[in-house]
Amino acid sequence: MTRRALTLALFWCLTASGIAQTAEQLFRDGNMLYQQGKLSEARERYEQILALGKVSGELYYNLGNVHYRAGDVARAILFYERALRLMPQDEDLRNNLQIAHLALADRIEPIPRLFLWEWWDEVKGMMSLRNATWLVFVVFTLLCGVTSYFFLARSYRKRRSAMFAGGGLTLLFLLTLTLFFAKRADTTRTDEAILMAPVVTVKNSPDSSSSDAFVLHSGVKVQITDTVGPWVKILLSDGKVGWVERTGLAVI
Amino acid sequence: MGRLTRFLSALLPALSLTAAAQDVTFVASVSKNPVGMGEQFTLSFVLTNAGMAGGKNLQLPDLTRFHIMAGPNTSTSMQIINGAVLSSVTSAYVLQPKETGKFTIGPASIEAGGVAYRSQPLTLEVVRGQAAPPKSAAPPEDLAGQIGDNLFLKAIVDRTRVLQGEQVNVTFKVYTRINVLNIALDKNPTMVGFWSEDLDSPADEGLGTEMVNGKQYRVRVVKRMALFPTQAGTLEVSPMVLETAIQVRPQRSSDPFESFFRDPFGRTVNYTIQSAPVRITVEPLPGGAPDDFRGAVGQFAMSTTLDRRSTRANEPVTLKVTVSGTGNIKLLEAPAVEFPPDFEQYAPKITEVVNRSQGRITGNKTFEYLVIPRYPGMKAIKPVTYSFFDPVRREYQRLRSPRQEIHVEPGVQGVGAGIVGAAREDVRMLSQDIRFIKISTPSFSERDSPLHARAAFIVLALLPLAGVATAFVYARRRTAELQDEAGARTRRAIRVARSGLRQAEYLLREKSGSRGEPSSLQRLRFYAEVAGALWKYLGDKLTIAPSALSVEAAMVTLKTRGVDHGLIHALKLVLESCDMARFAPTSLELTAMQKTFDETRRIIIELERTLK
Repeated sequence: MTRRALTLALFWCLTASGIAQTAEQLFRDGNMLYQQGKLSEARERYEQILALGKVSGELYYNLGNVHYRAGDVARAILFYERALRLMPQDEDLRNNLQIAHLALADRIEPIPRLFLWEWWDEVKGMMSLRNATWLVFVVFTLLCGVTSYFFLARSYRKRRSAMFAGGGLTLLFLLTLTLFFAKRADTTRTDEAILMAPVVTVKNSPDSSSSDAFVLHSGVKVQITDTVGPWVKILLSDGKVGWVERTGLAVI
Repeated sequence: MGRLTRFLSALLPALSLTAAAQDVTFVASVSKNPVGMGEQFTLSFVLTNAGMAGGKNLQLPDLTRFHIMAGPNTSTSMQIINGAVLSSVTSAYVLQPKETGKFTIGPASIEAGGVAYRSQPLTLEVVRGQAAPPKSAAPPEDLAGQIGDNLFLKAIVDRTRVLQGEQVNVTFKVYTRINVLNIALDKNPTMVGFWSEDLDSPADEGLGTEMVNGKQYRVRVVKRMALFPTQAGTLEVSPMVLETAIQVRPQRSSDPFESFFRDPFGRTVNYTIQSAPVRITVEPLPGGAPDDFRGAVGQFAMSTTLDRRSTRANEPVTLKVTVSGTGNIKLLEAPAVEFPPDFEQYAPKITEVVNRSQGRITGNKTFEYLVIPRYPGMKAIKPVTYSFFDPVRREYQRLRSPRQEIHVEPGVQGVGAGIVGAAREDVRMLSQDIRFIKISTPSFSERDSPLHARAAFIVLALLPLAGVATAFVYARRRTAELQDEAGARTRRAIRVARSGLRQAEYLLREKSGSRGEPSSLQRLRFYAEVAGALWKYLGDKLTIAPSALSVEAAMVTLKTRGVDHGLIHALKLVLESCDMARFAPTSLELTAMQKTFDETRRIIIELERTLK
């Protein structure tokens, strides 16, 4: 029984490392092609990595660069946004996203929000979901350690300090756990999209004969708030609301 | 009818002026009648002798059948004849008819000096097409036939297919076999889509003879032009119109009188000649133009000069770029020169010299770039490049100047402006572009199974919990063991007490046996043994630490454990008597010691029975 499990684990490790090897090979190839200016070949390599089911912020970042160089700013923004979910603290990425936004036709001023939400976004932006997971794990381990110490300590004073430390760690644990769940919700949300169609006339209601609300150009980030058949209701960061057909959007 | 109206309308103002000098008149007139469709004519209203105030509140007749192209154009005239002031105010409208037919232009009205005046109605005839030109002292009908091909103007181009920007020469020549007295330019040809430049005609080319269709003509070059097409496609050189004065020989006539009165040298008539339009096909330049190509076509050379090689900071330097050669000099654009970014740069000053002789446009264009170096150091100006298309070789050429270096010494005020706080600049972004791709191979993660959902991680996360559980179980067991230890102590208590009592009994028996009465030391030791045994027994039995053990604590614990009150009292008495004997020694009898011993034994046995 144990031997069988061991063999299985070993096999799993081997295959996993085998795939990773290929993905890394593809990544290196893609980088080389990018440096030679062969954008479409580089893009192919990167997309093969995605086809393997592998993702990383760096991969999305490079794909964004490829699309930007090829002149497809909307797609570049899509991939930068995807990369942002995996490595929100990357400075290069933020810079490139900002530059890509400069090339857009529409300038959308976001509505200022309550400073608490801004802070919370800042905190969330400080780490990726993966790091948040590890943070929760570390705090949890510390909490467990302190709890164990509490049980094992003989003197009253030691127990008391363990209890205080445990209280603090419990608070911290709840906080990091909240952060983790918020990050998980942010990362797996499918209601954010980038407009891909060059020009879209946004309607006031989900009906092609409806009156026109406003016109949007590709590359704008929208939030999908409702769906009716092929139509989706979109919300812009400046608060504008309208209906467009789903085909023009690419979910981040 | 129409002609009569015209005649009248032309006459009426004059009549009104002379006949009724002081009477106010208001007269309407048209400039021509009949009018052709699409032709413009002027409708005028003339108010005469209304004084300086003029008229007001002019009411126009219905003009809906005409387009009003312009107007009203108001003009005032004043004359003083024999002390009488004649004034007239004219309001003119330029009209164009909308349809053909006969129209009546109704009366217009105006107020002058409180009186309303009405103009007479006009009848206007609009005919199809251009109205017949007014007859004038035109040359006889047969003049054109008479002159025929004896006088004509020709536009000659040296080629009809050129590349965009390539030079084409057009020569306008007058061919004549008759006596031309005078040639005057009536209309210059218009060159749409060209940049044109008049060429200097060589003196000997001015006149000559040429054979055309077997006839000899005297030829005179009127104009020579160089054209540079600025766009591709079929372009047209529009006709040139010349007004000539020619001498017509008298025609032989059968009428002797008529021939008598004729000028024997013929008479002079004006005759208009015009060239036929010329079409030139312009082909676009071939592809593959260099980045810095800006439409220069021809053969050029470039030279760059810096007015000095070394300067001080904040003192200007001039870079002179001269492009010279043959081609569209005037269309040359300034080359983009890349100066070091800390140079202050001004728009170039451009001077050009164009030479129009020899049938080619040659010359040079000089671009003077004034720059001011702001910081000292060895500065380099990148090579200036200039691209042009060579129509002879049919390929693009690129000129390249050598790299120029300027040694900038520190300026007079201060070594570096950077030290002075006020002159400090922000770091300027030379260009804004996305950053480079990530090269270091990242650690890829599975898209569909994030870290927190992976079984291995969940197992890992459960490990600390298992640790807590282990610690908890261990702590529980240890507590249990501690409790076991207390039980053992309780069980051990009687044994310990017994051995203590045995020691006391030994002291009691032995000492009393030898001398009858125990010594005080013996007595002290006896009571210490008894007290010690009792205390030890109580400590073990009640699991009280020796440090916390006191009479009161022991009494309280015993009471809670349901020990008989009398027994507790007896215990207290024994302990007190022990203390008394030890710390306030009295001569206690052997019997008293024996009594204490027995009492102690009884108490322990009783306690042992109660505290099971």
